[in-house]
Amino acid sequence: MATEPTLQLEKLSAGYDAAAVVRELDLYVNPGEVVAMLGPNGAGKTTTLRAISGLLRPMNGVIRIDGIDIASKPPAARARDGIAHVPEGRGVFFGLTVAEHFRLGHRGEQLDVDAAYDHFPALAAIKDRRAGLLSGGEQQMLTLGRALARRPRLLLLDELSLGLAPVIVERLLPVVSTYAEESGCAVLLVEQHIHIALAVADRAYVLSHGEVIIHESAEKLRGDHQLILSGYLGEQETTATVSD
Amino acid sequence: MQDLVLFVLLGLGAGSVIAGIALAVVITYRGSGIINLAIGAISMVAAYAFWALRSDFFGITLATVPAIVVVMLSSILVGVVSELLVFRPLRTSSPLAKLVASLGILLTLQATMLLWFGSASKQIPNVFPDDILQIFDTSIPANRFWMAAVVVVISLAVGAVYRWTRFGLATRAASENEVFAMLAGLSPNQLSMVNTLLASALAGAMGIIAAPLAQADSTTLVLFIVPALAAALFAGFTSLPIAVIAGFGIGIGQSLMFYASTLSWFPTEQGGNPLPGTQALLTFVLLVVALSLRGASLPTRGELVEKRLPEAPRPKHLARSAAVFGAIGVVLLVVLPFGYRQALMLSLIGMVLCLSLVVITGFVGQVSLAQVALAGVAGFVVSHMIVDAGIGFPWGPIAGSIAGVVVGLIVGASALRVRGVSLAVVTLAGVVAIEQFGFASKRWGAGSAGSPVEQPSLLGFDLGTTASYRGLDGKLPSPVLGFVFLACVIALCLLVAQIRRSVLGQQMLAVRANERAAAAAGINVARVKITAYAISSFIAGTAGWMYAYNFGSVSAARFGFLIALAFVAFAYIGGITMVSGAVIGGLVATEGLVPHFFQELLGISGNWTLLVGGLILIVTVIQNPEGVAGTTYRKRQASKRAKAAADVATETMARAGES
Repeated sequence: MATEPTLQLEKLSAGYDAAAVVRELDLYVNPGEVVAMLGPNGAGKTTTLRAISGLLRPMNGVIRIDGIDIASKPPAARARDGIAHVPEGRGVFFGLTVAEHFRLGHRGEQLDVDAAYDHFPALAAIKDRRAGLLSGGEQQMLTLGRALARRPRLLLLDELSLGLAPVIVERLLPVVSTYAEESGCAVLLVEQHIHIALAVADRAYVLSHGEVIIHESAEKLRGDHQLILSGYLGEQETTATVSD
Repeated sequence: MQDLVLFVLLGLGAGSVIAGIALAVVITYRGSGIINLAIGAISMVAAYAFWALRSDFFGITLATVPAIVVVMLSSILVGVVSELLVFRPLRTSSPLAKLVASLGILLTLQATMLLWFGSASKQIPNVFPDDILQIFDTSIPANRFWMAAVVVVISLAVGAVYRWTRFGLATRAASENEVFAMLAGLSPNQLSMVNTLLASALAGAMGIIAAPLAQADSTTLVLFIVPALAAALFAGFTSLPIAVIAGFGIGIGQSLMFYASTLSWFPTEQGGNPLPGTQALLTFVLLVVALSLRGASLPTRGELVEKRLPEAPRPKHLARSAAVFGAIGVVLLVVLPFGYRQALMLSLIGMVLCLSLVVITGFVGQVSLAQVALAGVAGFVVSHMIVDAGIGFPWGPIAGSIAGVVVGLIVGASALRVRGVSLAVVTLAGVVAIEQFGFASKRWGAGSAGSPVEQPSLLGFDLGTTASYRGLDGKLPSPVLGFVFLACVIALCLLVAQIRRSVLGQQMLAVRANERAAAAAGINVARVKITAYAISSFIAGTAGWMYAYNFGSVSAARFGFLIALAFVAFAYIGGITMVSGAVIGGLVATEGLVPHFFQELLGISGNWTLLVGGLILIVTVIQNPEGVAGTTYRKRQASKRAKAAADVATETMARAGES
């Protein structure tokens, strides 16, 4: 491949209190690509994202952003380098208004507010409202809008659909894929709703017990429900034969 | 009416200082999640520095403005140093560890000032014009208005910074959720540092403008932290305007209380003086009322690692430990020379106080600073029983402990809706109120002198410090009283260990971990808390009458605000979740065995001890954020586990070799 992947994980192991949740994970995301990370509860999806954004110190392995090892950087520095991590739940500050969310930035950072309002016109109408008073869908729009307004080169999305009506999720995710395509931003997407994720993703990894058991194009996975199902049920031998 | 207005306006003075320090408290809390007890101490440093620079102490005398600049810079320096050396290493420690560390800073600053400038108080140079204003036909010094104006202007400026600047926005965001803030590219360390700068500058300014009210001495400005904490608590440690308004309110309220005490209907004590301490009582009552109406929960910060109290392991080998401890205790009491013997006895008392904190704070997670005050209640009851009613040992101590329990239950009941650090603040206000209103009162305390206590005796045997058996060196105090203390300590240690092993102990730990989850699991949280308060107050009360018998008298000074804070620190350093931690806490407590040893070894005394104590406190907290006993336990567990793993490995290898 000519281009270097934006994100590259090499034999990444991470976990809590010396117990590895993710073991020897290899994964890459190319610029402009949307990659879904799927798998049952406890597979290590969120742990992987936390290791990438620096909230968790990996036990082993290398994380490269555009080819550069970022091991030594604290979370804030990684964010400044263009990693936008939208955490599980609502990544908003309840005490700040919508407009204030777009003013909030590190030194020298200017968020692209207009782009955010373009992506989510609904936000423009409520910009002086405090985030704590917004509905779940509006909060998630704000989170995503803020992440996009930072013009990241790597976007990490954790369970965007959590607690939201499917109709809203179906509005949010296409925005992400369009943005990735237009800006060349790499997107790594964690989802419980397989079909929603596969609808926007280019490729997908399926994790189980901290290991990648399936790595396939989204197109193929969309057509083969049995394959995914076997991944969730942990029938690794079946998957091996199918994915061959 | 005229007088009323006069006192309201006079109250503006104290109100401004309280409001300013409260503002600094809230800024610090929002910036870093630390409740910094040392903020009043920074004002004290500024006051001393301002005096020194204006009166040729360092060989030069600066003009007012340059002196102010230098003072502000040195206040900021104190803040930065404490941030870098103390609070940053403790970032991921429990709030209690930070509270204890800030107490270490307070003590260190106090000792430094005393060593540097001596114990005589200094007149802080006045920065305001000396005009007298005529309002409603009364004369009011203009400086009160100047003070209020300075604080109001500063508050508005700080408010504007928080409201409109990017820094303010970032601080508000990070104080709400630190993780999200980091993901947004904000550095919590930087934010915390800038807020500390702001707060220390503000505290320094308060030290300068306090001139009309206070002198530069080692306590006055330091103690302003108590009403300031109360004001900050009114504001939920969040709202700047409420903190400032509450600060002014408390100042004016205290002034009005002073006015009321000059009126004929106001209750008096012997000698016709008005009852003392009603101002501290007012602050406490306001706080309790406000909190029980509203229920207090401080905003949490959504931090990366949830900060918990250290583990509370199940105690083992009770009989063996008790026997060993008892044997060592008896031998030491007989063999040690009188100075060390006295230190050992005080250590035994300290152990009891720390034990009471193990129950209430270590097991149930309630940070109560009131334990020393409860001990005081018991001590004074013992004294008054013997003096007023002629009732002595053992009925006096029993009544004393019961009185401790009663007051403890009142504190506990008023604190049922308050938890965590808010509880610490409420109980701190309670300590000051009990000390000033209770112990210092001639009516039910001891006034400024001590109140005598007769030596204990049982069935004709003298158990007191003057008993005929004098140990090997034949000097006072007699080890006999030490034996009594030792028996009490062993009994109470066994009691607390047994509680930890009982169902009640498990319920306590469940309440400590998560009150809602505990309630959902069918535990009556209120009942567990009240039981814990009763047990821990009983233990604290025991310490109280032990003090009384040890010194032959009780005085307010022994149960004061700084001592109350210090004992939380000792208990925490020892290991607040373990019985062995209480033993260590007692050994390192003020005037205990370890400080006495150092004092003899280094030949230091007084303020140097205070300074060394403060520094050791800080270092110990940073080195052992779980307390000495906790760290030891953890290390031992780790080595045990490593050994077990190694054993398994060799066994497997051996088996592999066989097959």
